[in-house]
Amino acid sequence: MIVAVGMAIGYVGIVTPSIPILLVGFVVFVGGTGGWVHDDMRRPSSPFYGVGTALESTFPRVSARKLGTWLLLVTEIMFFSAIIGASWTLRLRTTTPGADFQGPWASPNQILNVPLTGLNTFILICSSVTMVEAFAAAEKGDQRRLRLFLLATLILGIAFVSVQAYEYQKLYFQEGLTFKSAPYGVNPLYGATFYAQTGVHGTHVTAGVLALAYVTRKAFRGGFTKENHEAVELVGLYWHFVDVVWIFLFPIVYLLPA
Amino acid sequence: MEETATREPTGSEAHAKRPYLIVFVALAVVTVIELFIYSFPLAHIEIISILMGTATIKGGLVVGYYMHLRYEPRWLAFIPLAGLALVAVLVAALTSTSVHP
Repeated sequence: MIVAVGMAIGYVGIVTPSIPILLVGFVVFVGGTGGWVHDDMRRPSSPFYGVGTALESTFPRVSARKLGTWLLLVTEIMFFSAIIGASWTLRLRTTTPGADFQGPWASPNQILNVPLTGLNTFILICSSVTMVEAFAAAEKGDQRRLRLFLLATLILGIAFVSVQAYEYQKLYFQEGLTFKSAPYGVNPLYGATFYAQTGVHGTHVTAGVLALAYVTRKAFRGGFTKENHEAVELVGLYWHFVDVVWIFLFPIVYLLPA
Repeated sequence: MEETATREPTGSEAHAKRPYLIVFVALAVVTVIELFIYSFPLAHIEIISILMGTATIKGGLVVGYYMHLRYEPRWLAFIPLAGLALVAVLVAALTSTSVHP
């Protein structure tokens, strides 16, 4: 109910359009979703029976939560595909001489700092291995390694977001790459597509950091056992997913030639 | 709901030895290769093909090993594959209308 109300308020904010109303809707939506997940995770997950127990040898059962997480990730695949596809289309249409021509695209390193982002990519890869090691520790019931690796993942996630924030302020205020303009005679749509693609990814990473903070806090309170640690696995699935998105986004945004 | 019902179907637990560190090294090495490739004097289409190829390899490693899809019931893989099929349609549509690689 709270989630639906949040979405309704957000929709009104989009239609009006009013950023304060949109933000209120967002806060209500996030609060409702967080409360829902928190309440749900207190109970063990029910299994998903697929097409029925008669075909269980063909369709082995998985946890309903895991199935739901994978379905969520598929919607995220479509979401990111739409953002990247729209940016790619804008790039193709406006960099070709003709009626829609608005200027060339930037070359790698011309505006963006490829070595810095390469380092950030490495940070995200490191966070993926620490996350999966945390899950492996949870499966073995090794509390010390679980806490250690979850904390390491959280710190690496915060580092990624921090480097991105540093990059944004450098690009926006020093390089002059804004939503409407770009330096060095580069296509003015370059900034809009750059911030759209990396911004939605950064938002997802931030959400992942919040989820990681939740499971890390719970791990330090002894909330996970060898038998019940599904939250670690589900947050891990989400975290690896944002890593996969970045694996594609990094070459598309930073490395492809003009 | 009984806790045993939750744990029983997890196929990932049957694999005690998982090559997490080997996958990590592979991801790091391929990333370094990507950082060198983009500055090579190759045709645009060649650079795009190589970078998308390396990204697909890296993504496959993460999904297969870190997200454990390799160890899950096979039917679960059809869920992300369905999403990827729709992405393939989108890419085909965009590519067919493109005028510049």
